[in-house]
Amino acid sequence: MNFRLRAASVIAKRRIFESCLSPGFYIAQAVGLLLSYFLISGFVSSIDSSGFNYMLHPLYELIGRSLAGAFGATFLEKLFAEGPFQFVFYVSFVPVFLYLSFSTVFHFGLEKKVGAIELLAYGPVDGTSYFLAFYIKDVALTVLYQLLLVLFLSAAALLNNLFLGPAFLYVLVVIFFMALMLYTLSILASVLTDGGASAMALYIGIILLFLIVMMGSFTIASGYVRSFSSVLSWVINWVSPFFYWGLALSSVEAGNTLNYFLILLVMAALSGLFLFLSHLVIKIKGVRP
Amino acid sequence: MIRTRGLVKKYGNFTAVDNLDLNIPSGEIYGFLGPNGAGKTSTILMILGIIRPTAGEVFLFEEKYTPDRLDMRNKIGVVPEKHPQGVWSWMTAFEYLQMFADLFDLKRVYKDTQARIDYLLQQVDLHSVRNKRIAEFSRGMLQKLSIIRALLHDPDILFLDEPISGLDPIGIKQIRDLILAENREGRTIFISSHLLSEMEKLCHRVAIIYKGKLLAEDNMSSLLAKLIKDREILIDLESLPPDLADSLKELPFVLDTTTRDNTLVIKVSKKGDFRKDLSSYLIKKNLVPLRIEEKALSLEEAFVTITNENIDMFTEIGGRE
Repeated sequence: MNFRLRAASVIAKRRIFESCLSPGFYIAQAVGLLLSYFLISGFVSSIDSSGFNYMLHPLYELIGRSLAGAFGATFLEKLFAEGPFQFVFYVSFVPVFLYLSFSTVFHFGLEKKVGAIELLAYGPVDGTSYFLAFYIKDVALTVLYQLLLVLFLSAAALLNNLFLGPAFLYVLVVIFFMALMLYTLSILASVLTDGGASAMALYIGIILLFLIVMMGSFTIASGYVRSFSSVLSWVINWVSPFFYWGLALSSVEAGNTLNYFLILLVMAALSGLFLFLSHLVIKIKGVRP
Repeated sequence: MIRTRGLVKKYGNFTAVDNLDLNIPSGEIYGFLGPNGAGKTSTILMILGIIRPTAGEVFLFEEKYTPDRLDMRNKIGVVPEKHPQGVWSWMTAFEYLQMFADLFDLKRVYKDTQARIDYLLQQVDLHSVRNKRIAEFSRGMLQKLSIIRALLHDPDILFLDEPISGLDPIGIKQIRDLILAENREGRTIFISSHLLSEMEKLCHRVAIIYKGKLLAEDNMSSLLAKLIKDREILIDLESLPPDLADSLKELPFVLDTTTRDNTLVIKVSKKGDFRKDLSSYLIKKNLVPLRIEEKALSLEEAFVTITNENIDMFTEIGGRE
């Protein structure tokens, strides 16, 4: 096996082992599953003879009003067209995703600062194999959690006489690819900066920027600013996981499965590009604190 | 085994390493000496590929070495000055070494990796604490653990940065014995230090670096001979006439004299053996020398550590041989 991949896989195994021993990972999972429990039971309570009515449950009333306000009523209708599971999946996925990516950013910065990466680099490990290990860990644990979530939601659907729906599968896959992109961005933020705090700030900044652009805040301004912001949004969208998530789901709605898979391919390619950029950055910057 | 050609490292306008040429053959213990800030660490980091040289090349095992040569790193063991235990403090010593054994794919070389780890732990008296968490280790224990980690994969070259710093006398002896034993097995050892006494006991050859430049490079005895400006001859007499010390100063090769009880301490020029002349002089004065001994100065006695203040002595040596 290639020396770099070998080193990455050895470190990744240890990282996965460490994460499995860490209470943080279980707390994030528990929060995710607890949220899904409340959302599913809330959804069941919001069903009357005419079907789902978010006004019937206080939690769903709050969620429904917020989502309709931010994205429009059509978005809300589509989101709950096949039941609660798409929405429940998004919400339950966030705590574990945030835990994994934040812990990567934090640990990478900390370990570089104390000289741990440098010590490993005296052996058959370089900066690239080190961040690849983080990436493998994040991907492996995401798959694990997604499987757990699917099992949990399937059981919940069975018990409540609901069904996951065909669109759920598409959401499941696109969210995984979106997470892949975001994990690579967390690594890029880590190698670009020189400490856990600055890396975290940069990473959160990137996510917020993508979210703001996705929600269209940049187009509120008028005139010159408006043209500038729309150009900026267009540029940012090309590397934004949220943009591709929206595109992929629109393709599914339009029944264009081929387009959906092409978008997944682009997302995978962009993940590869971010990893390659991280490789170049760490090669230039080195592994010294 | 280790060769550098025109190695330069600049940080802005500051030149940390200036056109350094080193050539260390296989099986040698090579001491790299210099005061703090002389360029020792920058040189080691460039050789190891951790930092990129501004100019010059590094050759290891007769091949050009670049940071991408991960295959070569399997043949190198490194003990850094500071051991970042914080990240792995939750591990036991054995778990920590097992992690590195996995990284180096030790199973390729040793069928029983556990036995290899245990053997090395026994060598430095750490076997009894193999299941103790690293967080509970003292600085000396960490240093020993770091040396074991560096030796784990049976490297051909061992780089040691201040290996005995922070160790107690027993620890120093254990590490010294371990270094010598590893060298006897054919390992090339590169030690960076400012502790001359240890370098004297360990190294076949030393290099002295100052302000990024190589001031001297030689074997220990030659370097010592150059460093010591004059020698001391001790002569025991039955009795010491009061004017003897002063009268000896008239001899052209005598630089200074002092007395201690019935012993004459005569400082002479290092060029030549003057024992015979001194003996004849004393006999002419009807004095019988009971003992004539030339005192051998160790490098440590010349000075304990290399600092920016005493580096001038090396500068006076006049550069590389």
